[in-house]
Amino acid sequence: MTKKQKKRLKTIIICGCSFLFLIIFNALLKLDAKRFPNGISSIIGGKFGFILPLFLYLTVYVFVGKNVLKKCFFNLIRGQIFDENFLMVIAGLGAFTLGIINGLYGGGGEGFDEACAVILFFELGEFLQNYAVSKSRKSITSLISLRPDYARRLTNGNEEIVDPSVIKVGDIIVVNSGEKIPLDAIVIKGTSQVDEKSLTGESLPKDAYENSAVLSGSINLTSTLTLKVTKNFESSTVSKILELVETATDKKSKTERFITKFSRLYTPIVVILAIILAVVPSIITGNYLTYIYRALNFLVVSCPCALVISVPLCYFASLGTASKNGVLIKGSNYLDVLNDVNTFVFDKTGTLTKGNFKVTKIYPENKKQELLRLAYICEKNFNHPISKSILNECDFDLDVSTYTVKTVLGQGNVAKSESDTILVGNALLLKNNGVSAPFIEEDGTVIYVAKNSEFKGYLVIKDEIKESSFASVKQLNDCGFKTVMLTGDNERVAKSVSNELNLSEYKHGLLPHQKVTELEKIITNKSGSVCYVGDGLNDAPVLMRADLGVAMGGIGSDASLEACDIVLINDNLTSLIKAKKIAKTNSKTVKQNVAFILLVKALILTLSAFGLTNMWLAIFGDVGVSLLAILNSLRLHKND
Amino acid sequence: MKKQYNIEIDCAVCANKVQEAIKKIDGVTFCVVNYILQKMTIEIDDSKDFNLVLKQAIKLAKSIESDFEIEL
Repeated sequence: MTKKQKKRLKTIIICGCSFLFLIIFNALLKLDAKRFPNGISSIIGGKFGFILPLFLYLTVYVFVGKNVLKKCFFNLIRGQIFDENFLMVIAGLGAFTLGIINGLYGGGGEGFDEACAVILFFELGEFLQNYAVSKSRKSITSLISLRPDYARRLTNGNEEIVDPSVIKVGDIIVVNSGEKIPLDAIVIKGTSQVDEKSLTGESLPKDAYENSAVLSGSINLTSTLTLKVTKNFESSTVSKILELVETATDKKSKTERFITKFSRLYTPIVVILAIILAVVPSIITGNYLTYIYRALNFLVVSCPCALVISVPLCYFASLGTASKNGVLIKGSNYLDVLNDVNTFVFDKTGTLTKGNFKVTKIYPENKKQELLRLAYICEKNFNHPISKSILNECDFDLDVSTYTVKTVLGQGNVAKSESDTILVGNALLLKNNGVSAPFIEEDGTVIYVAKNSEFKGYLVIKDEIKESSFASVKQLNDCGFKTVMLTGDNERVAKSVSNELNLSEYKHGLLPHQKVTELEKIITNKSGSVCYVGDGLNDAPVLMRADLGVAMGGIGSDASLEACDIVLINDNLTSLIKAKKIAKTNSKTVKQNVAFILLVKALILTLSAFGLTNMWLAIFGDVGVSLLAILNSLRLHKND
Repeated sequence: MKKQYNIEIDCAVCANKVQEAIKKIDGVTFCVVNYILQKMTIEIDDSKDFNLVLKQAIKLAKSIESDFEIEL
């Protein structure tokens, strides 16, 4: 608790006890009905005896309500009349006035306790609300407080502890076991295991060895590691995650925006209704005291705080729980979109499959080395997974400087030197270059190799399906969602993957821009929202076009971060399923809160209008409802 | 220039009022007052004096919610 909160609580407790004391004292006095028929008022007695309880309760009122009174005054002089503080003060002072009038007419001064209770419970409610929100803020932000506080820099053999933000790329740092790795780095010495749980939700520790990369925010488990920093603090994974999560709640969902608009209208409407209630029936019946009292009750429930706090809190808690599971959602609105999604479209390579192509066959076998050499020339210096798999198969190095290599999108690579032209790609590449080749059908991607217009042979490359894909697709199918795959691969590969995973649909042979067209077709044909999951490499247009774009495989590429709406830090599709469940629970809880709050407020207003309830119940209802709604929201923040 | 500040604001409804009011200030291109995180993000046009506009924004915030505080 902060100092401010402690001070507030102290005031509330002291005033609360004084209040209780007055009530009990009053009740006890009344037991002696002969001497003290009017409780405390009878101590002085007579017509003006009510001044004593008035004074006592008013003192407690001023003490506990000094902040409210101060704010009310300041806001009033700046023209804020629909301010909650002002309305509460009116309700309270109004009740006091009614008590005075009651006293003057010989009633003995009833109602001062109620008036005092208004401000006391209002203050108590505000305090509890403030406390609950600040506690939840601390605990949710601590989930993602992966921020490391220090780094051990190694300079000239000396270790010094510095702030991570001063470390530069290339600096050497040391991380002992049990410590948090402060920046993204590569291991230069040591072997250990790291825990990335706070980043990805993965509880399986990852191996760290020479030349392996480690992420900032992960914890070094077993033994000391000496690391070379690859990204400065601001660009490191941890900072990027934090920035993303912190700004996520700034992006409001439709529901939150509606609540904001509604709350701006709610207070003036209730106040106007209160004025009508105070004036109109009074003129008709002449019972102005009764109706003013009922109108004051209206003022007690005039604050929409319950909605304005509990609904954003739901989104906040849900976003926090999602980040804990390695799913970074960029805005509260995307949570609602995710809930609405009933069609999931997947990229194949790197998303459903591991993307670690392997050369499984080279034909003809006796020409293996020659084919590999030709392929090498075309694929050296390219980062495409297919290129990498071919290069992995080559255990030699060649000088390719005499060749100029060009990529033909969707077809393959063409390498030209002064004397030779080498083609490595699919059947279309060969056809377009006038090379005739037999049509090969294999279980995998066929890479044709041709030199100087002569077909030399082919390689077969296969891509493995991720284990997690099976479980994820099954869960999605079981829930009745459509699962679709879009891939540039040939039909045979696409069909095989689709059958293995039991997808609803697949489309093969697509160039990147064709993926967008296919996605648009899907969007127009389906009701509900469409989610596209890809690894971001050339998926940016598709990610942006989808109702919800999900980028897999971490925070590595800036392109994927920019284009997508949700980032999956680990490579696991099952975390997306978890996120879908979180989105559903969130929507349910928000609806519960809104319904509950509106219903109770409407009930109190109706009962007050007909004089069936008093101020105590109104205050209790208003404050209690607010607290219950906030507590309900906090249930969304799960502490694993 | 866009900057984020830690703030103290007690009332959620006021946070919204403050946000909308600051957005209307000449020179402010973006403003979000996040009640739950108790943070304010504000972006001011580079052609204006950042500190001057920021002061205007703070003054406006305090006139709406007298307990508004900001960590500069």
